[in-house]
Amino acid sequence: MIFSQNAMENPEDATPVIGNHGSFTIESIPLKPLLDATPVAAVDVSSIKVGETEVGILCAIRGAIVWKTKSRYKYLRLGPFPFHITEENRKEIYNLFRRYYFETTEEASAPSLINMQTRMGSLLERWLQMGVSCSSHNSIILWDGSLTAGTADSPVNVMSKLLEIARNHLNTVLAFSKTTHLRLLGHRLTDFVRKTQPPCLLQINGFPVPSGPMFTLGNVYVAKLTNGICSFRLDIDKKIPLEQGIEAVGKLLGNDLLIQSYPETLRLAHIFSTFTANEVIGIQRFIVQQCRLKVIARPNVRRLLFGPFGKGCEG
Amino acid sequence: MRIYKKEGNTIEILCFPSENVEKGDYLFIEDSKANRGLVTQVIDVQFANVPGILEELLRDSTTDDRVHGENFDPLEVSSHINYIQDSWVLICKIRGAVQDGKLLVNPSWLPSRAQSKIKRLPVTSLLSFVKINEALPIDVGETKEASVLAVDAQALDGKLNIVTGKKETGKSHLSKLLVLGLVGYGAPVVVLDLNGEYVNLGFSSKGENNEYYDRVHVLTPGANLKVSLAQMDLRVMLNILVHALNLPGTSTREFRRIWRFLQQRQAFTLRELGEAIRNWKCNQHVRDALFSRYYSLLNSGFFTDNLAEATSFEELFQKIRGGGALVLNLRDVSSVDRQIVVEYVLGKLVELLTQWKIRAAFLFAEEAHLYLRETYWDDIVTRMRHFGVFTTFVTNQPDTIRENIYRQADNIFLFNFTNERDLEAVSRAARVDSETVKSIARDLPPHHCLILGKAVKDFPMVAKVKALDVQTMGQTRLFFTDKN
Repeated sequence: MIFSQNAMENPEDATPVIGNHGSFTIESIPLKPLLDATPVAAVDVSSIKVGETEVGILCAIRGAIVWKTKSRYKYLRLGPFPFHITEENRKEIYNLFRRYYFETTEEASAPSLINMQTRMGSLLERWLQMGVSCSSHNSIILWDGSLTAGTADSPVNVMSKLLEIARNHLNTVLAFSKTTHLRLLGHRLTDFVRKTQPPCLLQINGFPVPSGPMFTLGNVYVAKLTNGICSFRLDIDKKIPLEQGIEAVGKLLGNDLLIQSYPETLRLAHIFSTFTANEVIGIQRFIVQQCRLKVIARPNVRRLLFGPFGKGCEG
Repeated sequence: MRIYKKEGNTIEILCFPSENVEKGDYLFIEDSKANRGLVTQVIDVQFANVPGILEELLRDSTTDDRVHGENFDPLEVSSHINYIQDSWVLICKIRGAVQDGKLLVNPSWLPSRAQSKIKRLPVTSLLSFVKINEALPIDVGETKEASVLAVDAQALDGKLNIVTGKKETGKSHLSKLLVLGLVGYGAPVVVLDLNGEYVNLGFSSKGENNEYYDRVHVLTPGANLKVSLAQMDLRVMLNILVHALNLPGTSTREFRRIWRFLQQRQAFTLRELGEAIRNWKCNQHVRDALFSRYYSLLNSGFFTDNLAEATSFEELFQKIRGGGALVLNLRDVSSVDRQIVVEYVLGKLVELLTQWKIRAAFLFAEEAHLYLRETYWDDIVTRMRHFGVFTTFVTNQPDTIRENIYRQADNIFLFNFTNERDLEAVSRAARVDSETVKSIARDLPPHHCLILGKAVKDFPMVAKVKALDVQTMGQTRLFFTDKN
């Protein structure tokens, strides 16, 4: 399996940059809930830096899969998995993850220490998405994020393979982005649904495709599924017929609880994977006790220099 | 355990449940670099305010019937997270400091937060360090560590004590222990026994005579406790008439003249008193008032003209001079008669003490508000104490004891209270901070007592009151006794 070596390091950069807009139309697609007992599954992964040692960083990742069948939610939480990443072991760890998750034997250069935590989280997320795609049938699979491929975390071939496996198992992947940088005529994409009656999807015809190494493997919609102020960018696998994709959203409406246009299954996956401050302390304690590592507290330079005005990230 | 905060007299210590610390325990904070230490007592155990705990609890609370699942945690990190979730903050009060092996009461320094070591201070070590039960120990029970806790009888000598707690927590049991302990050391004790709970102190639980049998004298007014007018001092009689029988001032003045008249005639009998009132030249209303009080005295059964059956308190006190208890059984005695008897006994006691016929006496007063007149409270804590009456109030209604009594109390034996108002009343005691009282007393199990004051050298201690091999039960009449 090959993926782009030119991929960008920072996932923020993975958002496609839209060039000059040509002619386009906006179409509102009204939705109807379809009550047909379609299972819904959602995947989310969190990663967090829990500290530093003299030679590296300490981070932890945790994944969660939540299934909604009939009226019950079932979850599987994996982790937390703490890591001590140093300059010496970062390549080894990164490639170990890649070998397992991308099933590749090809060695790749590891990201910088500062990006390792996010990268490992993404790799775990892809692996869990793969697992769910393989084990589910006739289901709706919810991802957190977009179907943009071509970044270091989301190689085109891996993403395509993932979606293909999902399709082969008659699953439909719906990717919800909580934030989007996509803009049309200077307005944020999600602002266009303000006056539409939910539940609906907003389809932008003639939306420019991103240039460069990145691909959007899905059709981009703006979803406003309930009343309220929230709407989300929704990517639906491009390789499934449009009608099937819209029908899948209808099934989601009929089979999952939606609050502020966001599916409960995905919300639970996020809640179950995310780290609380207490958990960070617990993980630090685990690392200190089990691994005999000494967590060091680096002085906050911003605080030192600017006192109470030293806000934001350390450094 | 680590020091977290200090504010005023309160130190907060971070701790984990595995360290097995409970309310009432003593901790020693040792700052070895400074060669000093602080003696603190845990008065409350709270959950540490760990950041993110609310989110975690909310997340866990979603795993109800509708949401269920499993965690794959091969490294068992969750156990560490749960451990942090369960962390405690011990709210401790500083009780003293140790410097160069000496105990100081008011520490004016702070131990190092980073360097100090905190360990549990066994009560036995504390007891021997502060020398609590040295000379005349009265064994009151055992501590949490199963070591004996004894209070020094000298710590009750010349002191004002309060035993309080809600019903059936063991107050009377403890006061009986104290009575017998004092008797054992040769002290004369007078018990104002409202419910007839002390009458069997001379018998073992099996009903046999015990070692105190000869030293416990039960006096039942109207039965084996009667007095003649001749034994009566005018002052005591006036106290009875004014305070117990509410005789108005004018009538009191006439009574005083009648009393002097009888004194001159050496005719101190009830019959003579009745005759004198009948024939006395005075206003009819005054005569009626005097007659109504006369009949109250007569009907009380407490007074007799038969000198042979009259009780001599001088003789009674002679009997208990080497240690003994006079138990005044006020059970089945009407409220007015109770006041008459108590007025007489206390008046006689003060008289004997004033005349140095007895050196001192320990007075145990159960539910004193039911028979003690208003003015006696101040009398007891000030004047009578100087005469040698050392009182222990026993009550389950702490708000019936005045605030100034709490403020002057030297020792408080506090049993469980759950009611805020009760705790508020007791927390006025000057010997300890109100937080200690409120926090520890609320959680005391039955028969456990928080001892405050001089008896424990101001190191509040919790003791499980020991069992007593005497017939101690209050004779509460039950309806359903045969139904079980």
